[in-house]
Amino acid sequence: MYLILLSIFVPMAAGLCLLILPEKNIVRARLLSAVSMAYLLTAVLVTAALTRCYDVSYTLFHLTASLPVCFHIDETGVLFAALTLIVLLCAGFFSFAYMKHEKKEKRYYGFYLIVFGVLNALCFAGNLITFYLFFEILTLTSMPLVLHNGSREAIMAGLKYLFYSLCGAYMALFGIYFIWKNSSTLAFTAGGVLHMTTGGNISGPNSLPGAAAGGNTAILLIAACACLLGFGVKAGMFPMHAWLPAAHPVAPAPASAALSAVIVKAGVLAVVRVVYYIFGPDFLRGSWVQTAWLTLTLLTVFMGSMLAYREPVLKKRLAYSTVSQLSYILFGLAVMNVTAVTGGLLHVLAHGFIKAVLFLVAGAIICTTGRTRVEELRGIGKEMPLTMWCYTIASLGLIGIPPTGGFISKWYLAIGSLQSNTPAFAGAGPVFRWLGPVVLLVSALLTAGYLLPLTIHGFLPGADYDYAHLQKREPSPWMTVPIVILTALSVLLGLFPNLLTDRIMGFVSTLM
Amino acid sequence: MDFVQNFPCFSVILCLFAGILSSGLKDKAAMRVNTCLLGIVTLLSGATLLYTLQTGQSFVYVMGKFPAPWGNEIRAGVLEALTALFFCVIMLLSLLGGRHKLLEEVESGKTYLYYVLTDLLLSSLLALVYTNDMFTAYVFVEINTISACGLIMIRQNGRTIEAAVRYMIMSLLGSGLLLLGLCMLYDLTGHLLMSNMKESVARLAATGQYEIPLIVAIVLISVGICIKSALFPFHAWLPDAYGYSTVSSAAILSSLVSKGYIFLLIKIIYRVIGFDIYGDTRIIDVLFAFGLMGMIFGSLSAIKENDVRRMIAYSSVAQIGYIYMGFGMGTEAGMTASVFHILSHAATKSLLFIAAIGLTDVSGGSRKFIELTGAGYRNKWAGAAFTVGSLSMVGMPLFSGFISKLLFAQAAVQNHVKMLPALIVLGVSTILNAIYFMKTVIRIYTPVGYSAYPSITFVKMRVYAVTLVAFILLNVILGISSQPVVDMIRQGLAMFS
Repeated sequence: MYLILLSIFVPMAAGLCLLILPEKNIVRARLLSAVSMAYLLTAVLVTAALTRCYDVSYTLFHLTASLPVCFHIDETGVLFAALTLIVLLCAGFFSFAYMKHEKKEKRYYGFYLIVFGVLNALCFAGNLITFYLFFEILTLTSMPLVLHNGSREAIMAGLKYLFYSLCGAYMALFGIYFIWKNSSTLAFTAGGVLHMTTGGNISGPNSLPGAAAGGNTAILLIAACACLLGFGVKAGMFPMHAWLPAAHPVAPAPASAALSAVIVKAGVLAVVRVVYYIFGPDFLRGSWVQTAWLTLTLLTVFMGSMLAYREPVLKKRLAYSTVSQLSYILFGLAVMNVTAVTGGLLHVLAHGFIKAVLFLVAGAIICTTGRTRVEELRGIGKEMPLTMWCYTIASLGLIGIPPTGGFISKWYLAIGSLQSNTPAFAGAGPVFRWLGPVVLLVSALLTAGYLLPLTIHGFLPGADYDYAHLQKREPSPWMTVPIVILTALSVLLGLFPNLLTDRIMGFVSTLM
Repeated sequence: MDFVQNFPCFSVILCLFAGILSSGLKDKAAMRVNTCLLGIVTLLSGATLLYTLQTGQSFVYVMGKFPAPWGNEIRAGVLEALTALFFCVIMLLSLLGGRHKLLEEVESGKTYLYYVLTDLLLSSLLALVYTNDMFTAYVFVEINTISACGLIMIRQNGRTIEAAVRYMIMSLLGSGLLLLGLCMLYDLTGHLLMSNMKESVARLAATGQYEIPLIVAIVLISVGICIKSALFPFHAWLPDAYGYSTVSSAAILSSLVSKGYIFLLIKIIYRVIGFDIYGDTRIIDVLFAFGLMGMIFGSLSAIKENDVRRMIAYSSVAQIGYIYMGFGMGTEAGMTASVFHILSHAATKSLLFIAAIGLTDVSGGSRKFIELTGAGYRNKWAGAAFTVGSLSMVGMPLFSGFISKLLFAQAAVQNHVKMLPALIVLGVSTILNAIYFMKTVIRIYTPVGYSAYPSITFVKMRVYAVTLVAFILLNVILGISSQPVVDMIRQGLAMFS
């Protein structure tokens, strides 16, 4: 039970210690060993918490009499916590090599560790208020990672991030007030917690759609919409996505990897929690909220890919790609059937690993060559073959070519979409049934269009390439090993998907 | 009778005497007397709070042992003691944080007057909090008004004199209405002590006698106090008064003076009129409506404002709107939320004023936003404190503002009719708050390549920095362990009726 608390507060405490210690008399080697100790300790604690404390609840304190701050580990939490742990560890060790040429390392590691703890807390949060609390803290503590290098551009991006996130969070809070009125508890319960029409008991998974919450259905739908839009800000959903392409590229590369692969997933987790554990899919299925949500996600998928296609700077291109890919996940969640949600959750893992690889590769390229724009990277595959091979494999995964993880998740997303019967508006046919897969395919094509040119020009620079001056510049093992591990994971996810899909499907079907 | 029961009376008398004593002292000595006084009164209020918590009931202190219907009484329960303690702490911190500015802005040789005024102000605030007698309350309302005017005017320039005159006119109008209302109530009931008045009012309400005069009296009193505490349509005096006076005055006025009147209104609602009778009159819906309007229009004015001090002042209009919205719910929960917001807003608003002065000081004294660019780097403590204050105002969890918003939402969902407007306005005003406070935070942390203004170090402003840290701690404590405070408020409100 205390393992949950330890896995949250040990990294936070370690981070705080680092921040408080005076800057001057710290030797880099000792700093790094301290940080890696903290990483490993956290890893052990999280693993122990996940295995030993599964399905355990623990109340930390009461914010007000009726609002406990409590933690609870369930399947969704395990999934997100595992992703957080793997990606943050890899990116964390990658930073050892990357951060050598950046200033204020101590501050970076301090906030990185705090964010680590906060993310664990988000995965383990047992009710909506705890989640909201740490959601806001996540915004505040991840902001210093964005504005790390202190340039004007970085600070403006950080503040933009802060502003968008706060506005989103308050929209969500507005929704939470209404949920609070219409439910007896804010604890995450599979199938939702809304009151039924008669009596005060909690609606089970089998309650009739629309019958829940009595006459307040209209208001609750507005509340659900506010929550989705509000939490969707963190997941970069249109129309509040503009912070993401500004904030992610300016951070140091490992921090961008953490931001793009994990921290934005906090928004996804929020949506999962609100839709499947608070409102319940039965309440939202077939309502205008679902239609609006599906429309927004498909719009974001397409728009993100288009913007990425046009973007010349590699890290920005990857950030736009994140906007697009996150909406794949949200699309799966919005379809609200078992297959599509399974696909969405699988894509959480697949996109997490792949996007981390891509950003780390971009970081490795910046670190060794100092080049940031795609057209400057001709022949990069000849200089850094191992890194670029990883990039290529990850790209194929993101496009969705078997046998990588991306293929499996997109397969489930498409199948799930084909099974759905949601009409676009009252009276119309099930437009989203075919529109979903079409948009996904078009976007996959665009994904290939914006990711693969780097591979093509990197390995096949053309006849006029100056082979005489070619030098091998493979980065240090601190960089390559995390990249290779993450790439391997993304491939393994595609090779042996059944281990995960069965389990995910199992618990997703209990949510419906 | 326990010795502690003398403390409320001692506090008021001590403040009055300290004021008289200070008028014959030099600047420095008056300052020391004032600081000691605040320390002592804080201790006395703390002791009273502990005593009332221990005994679990309120006590009445009969001044001069004249028996009930004629004599003057002081009454202290948990809520009175808590409020008094809080007011003392906030006043102490506001004065400490604004001390260096005071020395700059007020002619030397005259600062002792400032401390005379604050002593008197404190005595009137404590009297408003503790008194059980409506006439005493009226007398101290006037003392409060006059000393507040002095606090605005002590910084002598055109704008402050104009502001003080405006404040004087509006405030006297409010007092006049209050006095009329009191006269009518006295006519109707024949008493001036709150408990006796309440009995008579209950009898009148039960028999339906003098129904219209009673309602008129209630309306006059409520409107009078609304004017004095700057509820939305009566807020025109506020931005100038808070915006141009010296910073301690702005902090004290916004977080204590207006709150003192609101506290008096709470006492009148509970102890003179009776909560249910007050709730049955329509005035409660009017308060609710104006509270909501204040929340929106105050924030809109703040967004338009280009002067950071006036922006914070307009934000007060919005926050006062929150408090009246809580009154307007007409429920126990709404009142609890309002009282908590009185405390939380007092702690946050004074922090913001004090932090803002640190920021404008390192921007060449200009309060325009363009000059504030990057001020957070030049004065790191003020920047951090301003950020904390802003986050608390917009309702970031872990700070006190979040808890008040939660309590308001909790109260709103209990009232079926007023739930929807209350929650929608709460949501909208939160976003508006976020817009102008985050705009400021973004501004003060926008880096500038070269600044004409030097940065300031910790050594030069030790007292100031410590004050800011104390304010931040107060905010965080209210935000994290709000439950004991809320329990105390509930207990105190229960003792009222």
